[in-house]
Amino acid sequence: MTLALFSGSLDKLTAAGVILGGAAADDMDVDLFVLLQGARAFKKEIGDDPNKLEMAEYPGLKAEFLDSLKTLKVKSWIEFFREAKELTNVKIHICGLAGKIWGGEKLEDFVDIADDICGIGEYIESAQNADVHLFI
Amino acid sequence: MAIEATKIVDARGTACPGPLLAAKKAIGEIKSGDIMEVLSSDEATKRDVPKWAAKKGHEYLGTIEESGYFKIYMKKN
Repeated sequence: MTLALFSGSLDKLTAAGVILGGAAADDMDVDLFVLLQGARAFKKEIGDDPNKLEMAEYPGLKAEFLDSLKTLKVKSWIEFFREAKELTNVKIHICGLAGKIWGGEKLEDFVDIADDICGIGEYIESAQNADVHLFI
Repeated sequence: MAIEATKIVDARGTACPGPLLAAKKAIGEIKSGDIMEVLSSDEATKRDVPKWAAKKGHEYLGTIEESGYFKIYMKKN
């Protein structure tokens, strides 16, 4: 599976995490490409701090969303991504341009679940070869 | 006949995909032919776990509904 993660929003990152969980249960290989806004969330100083992330949908209902996640014992998006990486072959590629836009030049500028910094050619090739291709 | 589970996975209180991932982790810890019992209070899991088990080649044995949770049984391939 190839997943293009354009969004760096709390709600869409959580959705991506749940989908990665399903892929992990099914032992799928996943190449996840972090594009534009997504790269902001992967910055070390942002990560899964809900105070530093916004909602893409229902921006006024962030507190309600977070309360529900807590009640339902839903993991943070990074915890989902990390668990999926432990269970199956998930490679997380940060788009070089996106990284630069948000002030990240090197892999060390991003959360520890990121595997490398890559160009768009690699994403296109991965998408061409994948059985499942998602854009979030 | 009662089913004797080798491994019981208590995933009650977690939401999707929690029970599915708990089942996935636990099935790696038992031997072929062993029976695993997954406890879940998540409605979606009742459909998800049997489908996952069948896809992975394990034998789904059935589900028992208790008060507020399900007991899902499978035999590892």
